[in-house]
Amino acid sequence: MALPLPPGLTHPEVAFLAEMELVTVVPRQRLEPIDLLGGKTPPLRPPHRTDLPLWLALLLKKQRRANILPPPWLHPASLADIIHRETKVTPEAFSEPPPAPARADVSQPGRARRQGVDQEGDDGGIIMSAPFRPACTADAPAGYLPYHWQEVAEALLAHAGDDVTAGTAGATVSSAGEVRGLIRDLVEVRAAKMRSSTAQLEGFGAGLMSLRGVGAMELAESRGFVLGVVDGVRRIGASVEGARREAEEEREGEESDEDMGI
Amino acid sequence: MDIDDILREVDPTFHTIPQEKRDLQELTRAWTAERSAPELLPWPTSGLFERINDSIKHQIEKVEEMTGDMDPKTNFALIVIQTELERYRYLVRSYLRARIAKIDRHTLHYLSTDDLRARLSEMELAYATRHQALLHNHYLSSFLSSFPAGLQNLNDAAGGISMIETPDLDAAVFIRLLKDTFVTARGVDEDDAANMRESDIIILRWSDAKPLVEAGSAELV
Repeated sequence: MALPLPPGLTHPEVAFLAEMELVTVVPRQRLEPIDLLGGKTPPLRPPHRTDLPLWLALLLKKQRRANILPPPWLHPASLADIIHRETKVTPEAFSEPPPAPARADVSQPGRARRQGVDQEGDDGGIIMSAPFRPACTADAPAGYLPYHWQEVAEALLAHAGDDVTAGTAGATVSSAGEVRGLIRDLVEVRAAKMRSSTAQLEGFGAGLMSLRGVGAMELAESRGFVLGVVDGVRRIGASVEGARREAEEEREGEESDEDMGI
Repeated sequence: MDIDDILREVDPTFHTIPQEKRDLQELTRAWTAERSAPELLPWPTSGLFERINDSIKHQIEKVEEMTGDMDPKTNFALIVIQTELERYRYLVRSYLRARIAKIDRHTLHYLSTDDLRARLSEMELAYATRHQALLHNHYLSSFLSSFPAGLQNLNDAAGGISMIETPDLDAAVFIRLLKDTFVTARGVDEDDAANMRESDIIILRWSDAKPLVEAGSAELV
């Protein structure tokens, strides 16, 4: 009954999450809205583009009811640009995650309003995050890797390879092999960064470390190792830390005593 | 679909996220958090699981009705509905199982104070209490009864050391910030504090991350 898995999401669980990412499809058949638990699906009318969760898009694709529009960041030019930035511009850090999606605010013309933030809810509002942010649709910005980039790219290449080849907005002729090669390069470049970040962990004296821009799969891969090292350093240094805290408290105590004296 | 839904779709000033989407986001977040956090998190009091269980029940009834229909068009809709249903059920099941695993590991700890008991749902509380009683009775009948009466308890705190194991609240976790936030974290050599940006992914101790997660400015990943 009880779940035998260790803490932290495993690879299949991460892939499961990635299947909730919205992607854009071009339907080839009409399909009336289906009443799902997550809300009604939008009606499919060829050739109008529609955003659907990845699992549904893949199902439609397998039945040849729709084509998937690959997200702009999966275009070879965008991937090459990201690789360039990962290796040349910021060789230390991961490339930036996509900016929070925003739309023009109709009630206040000229102002942008962040999407996926609901402040009017009865429980104080909710902020949507990956995989429920539209980061893999055809409207997503090029040049940014979303949180679930590796899983979405793999799924699209495996099940909708012909759509990826058909080219994105730029419509240049590219082969799935090229995209696959670029993805592989990217995985390797970033895996090397993940490994070198463990050198930082070795002297993990401070309590905070940021991995901005890291992907879900990359986290799942090194979660056990990274968290193990951090916890190990904490256990080894527990007595040092305890002594330091005591000394700090004493110093603070003395200072407040002095304040009292004044 | 009634006229309100149609109006909502064409009204660009309407920003509210529909309830179903919010529930799915909350369910996914609760599941991820429960899978990653070192301790049991409070059972959501917003009625989230009651809502989801109800809608799953409705959906199952609908599937049963539709299975009679052999029209190929509804047939495909049925496949989609069943696929989605299975995804929801997986999430709920995995969430509950992750909680049971934590309750099983530290049963006496979660039953020890009222604050901790409040984290469990009614069903979980009944399960934990009865399971623990059965277990203790089993120990008593198999070997504990031959011990002196003073040594038969499972929750002794004599000698300053409690017998009850507690989860490691200082275990490191990964969190993602949902807002720009000021983050403070304790470390071995020095404490750290910094202004962090939205969608930063940070490693820190769960005891430092907990207030951020509870305030809704961060989520576990």
